[in-house]
Amino acid sequence: MVKEKDNKKEQEIISAPPTGMQVVWREFIKDRVAMFSLIIMVLAISGVFIASLFFDPAEVMKVSLRSKYAPPSSLHWLGADIGGSDVFGQLIIGAKNSLLIAIAITLITGTVGIFIGLACGYFGGWIDNMFMRIIDFFITLPSLMIIIVFITIVPKYTVFTFILIVSLFGWTSIARLVRSKALSESRRDYVNASKTLGTNDFVIIFKEVMPNISSILIVEATLSFAGNIGIETGLTFLGFGLPPSTPSLGTLVAYANNPLVMSTYWWVWLPAALFILILMLSINYVGQALRRAADAKQRLG
Amino acid sequence: MSFMQIKDLKVHYPIRGGFFNTVVDNVYAVDGISMEFEKGKAYGLVGESGCGKSTTGKSIIGLEKISAGSIIYEGENVTNKRRDRASAYNRDIQMIFQDSHSSLNPRKRVQDILAEPIRNFLKLTPQEESRRINELLAIVGMPEDARLKYPHEFSGGQKQRLGIARAIATNPKLIIADEPVSALDLSVQAQVLNFMKDIQDEYGLSYLFISHDLGVVKHMCDYISIMYKGRFVESGTKKDIYDNPQHIYTKRLLSAIPDVTPNGREDRKLERIEVERNYQAEHKQYFDENGRVYDLSPISDTHFVAATSSALKGGN
Repeated sequence: MVKEKDNKKEQEIISAPPTGMQVVWREFIKDRVAMFSLIIMVLAISGVFIASLFFDPAEVMKVSLRSKYAPPSSLHWLGADIGGSDVFGQLIIGAKNSLLIAIAITLITGTVGIFIGLACGYFGGWIDNMFMRIIDFFITLPSLMIIIVFITIVPKYTVFTFILIVSLFGWTSIARLVRSKALSESRRDYVNASKTLGTNDFVIIFKEVMPNISSILIVEATLSFAGNIGIETGLTFLGFGLPPSTPSLGTLVAYANNPLVMSTYWWVWLPAALFILILMLSINYVGQALRRAADAKQRLG
Repeated sequence: MSFMQIKDLKVHYPIRGGFFNTVVDNVYAVDGISMEFEKGKAYGLVGESGCGKSTTGKSIIGLEKISAGSIIYEGENVTNKRRDRASAYNRDIQMIFQDSHSSLNPRKRVQDILAEPIRNFLKLTPQEESRRINELLAIVGMPEDARLKYPHEFSGGQKQRLGIARAIATNPKLIIADEPVSALDLSVQAQVLNFMKDIQDEYGLSYLFISHDLGVVKHMCDYISIMYKGRFVESGTKKDIYDNPQHIYTKRLLSAIPDVTPNGREDRKLERIEVERNYQAEHKQYFDENGRVYDLSPISDTHFVAATSSALKGGN
C-alpha cells in the first residue's frame, strides 16, 4: 500500500506517508457497494449508540399486558411483544448490547491473538511449537458445544462471562494468521538489521514487525467483528446466549421460534432479523474492500 | 596488532530425522575457520554460492548461533555470550546487508532509521541526535531533506548508502559487508565501493568484505580468504592470492574471471582448459576422501594454503 500519489495535491506535501489511507479511500470510491456499505455501517452503528441514550432499559422492558402484541402505531413504532414491551426500544438497546459484546470479543481475541501470533512468528522454535500445539488442540474442540455446555452448567452467567467464554475459542484463528505473517516478516533483513543495531526483541516485535502487518490486522478485525455479531445472536437465538431479561438482537429473533408469532406478529422479529442481515452484509463488504486495499494485486482503485 | 580474533569458528545446522526426531547429521555451513582483524584493513571473503560466506558474517555479528570455536574481541571472549544488545561489542561491529531494500523498514522515515543505532548505543540529546543524523547524511552525500522520506522513495544506490550511513552511525571498528554491491548496477557499484574506501581511510574502519565478485574484492581488500564448503582453501594478502595462487580451487576461480579484451581469447581458453584438467587430475591432493578441504598450512608469513605437503612441493 505504497507509492500511490499521483494526486497533484499530495505532491505538494514533501513526503506523503504510505499509511495507505489514500489507497483505502480510493478503493471505496471505486467500489460503489463498499462505499454504500460503509455509509450504512457507520449510520447503523452510530445511530444505535446515539438512540440508546434516549431509552431506559427498565422502562422499555416493563410488562404491560394491555398492549400485548400491539401492531406498529405512533405509540409503539414497531409494535410490542408478548409482554407489551416496545419492540423499537428493544431493538435499539438489543443492538447496542450485541454490538458491545461483539466489539469486546473482537478486542479480546484480537489482542490475545496478535500477541501470541507475533511471539510465535518472531521467536519460532519451542515457543512457536508449544502455542501451535495448543491452538491445534483448541481447533479440534467443538467450540459451539462447549460454549452451550458451559452456559448450561454455570448457574448465573452474565454478559461478562459470556464474552470470556466466546473469546476463549476465538483467538486461535487470529493467532494463526498473525503468526504466518509475522513469520515471513521476521525473516526479512530489516529485522536482522534492528537486531545488530542493538534494539531489543520487544521493541522489534511491536515497533518494527507489527506496523508492517497492520493492514492485515485491520482487515481481520473487521471481518471477525461481523462474525462475532453472528455468534452472539446465534447463541441467543438458540437460547444459550444472554438471559432473556437482557434484550439483544438474538432475543428478538428468538421470538420467531413460536409459529404464531412467526406468521402473525411479524413486527416482533422481522426488524431485528433485517438489522442483523444489513449490518453483517455491510461490514463484510467493508472488510472485503479493506482486504483488497491491503493487497496490491486485488486492488480496484 | 589485531583487535579481534576468530578461532576455529564452526556453525553446524543439525539435520533431524527418524522416529524420535533425533539429530542424524549436520550441515557443516562453516567448519573451522580462523581470522584476525587489524584496524584499518579490509578482509575479503570469496567463494561460490552456499559455501558459508554469509553464515560466517552473520555468526560473527551474532545472528547465527556458533556451534564451536571462539571470537575474542579486545581480549574478551564474546562467543554466543548472552550479552546486552547495547553492549560495546554490538556497538563496534556493524553490518551492511546485501539487499538494501529489505534491510530498511518500509514504515520508518530515514531519520528514524538512522536514529535507531544512535538511540540504542549513544546517549545523545535530541539536538545532538539530530545533528548526528545530518552529519551522517552529509557523509554519504545525501541532502538533508532526505530525513523525512521513506525508503521506497530512493534508488538502489541511495538505499545502500543509507544502509552504510546507519552502519557507521556509532563509529564502529569493524563493518561486515555482506555482498553490499551485488544488487547494484556497475556504475553505482563503483560509486558505493569508492565511497566505502573513502570512509575507511577517514575513520580507520576495518571491513569484512563478503563477495563472490573477485574484481570487487581485489579493488577493496588487503587480505583475501577463499572459501569452499565452509572452509578456507587459501588465505593471504591480495598479492599472494592474485599473483601466486597455490590451491587448485583458487586457480580455477581466478581463471573464471571474464576478460573483455578480445586479444588472446584463444590463449585464455586454453589456459582455462589446462586449469580444469589440472583440477580433475590433482583433486585428490587438495581434498580428502570425503571431499573435505585440508587444514591450512603456511607457505610464507602471510600466505596459507589448504593442501597436503606433497601437493605444495609438487605443485610449483
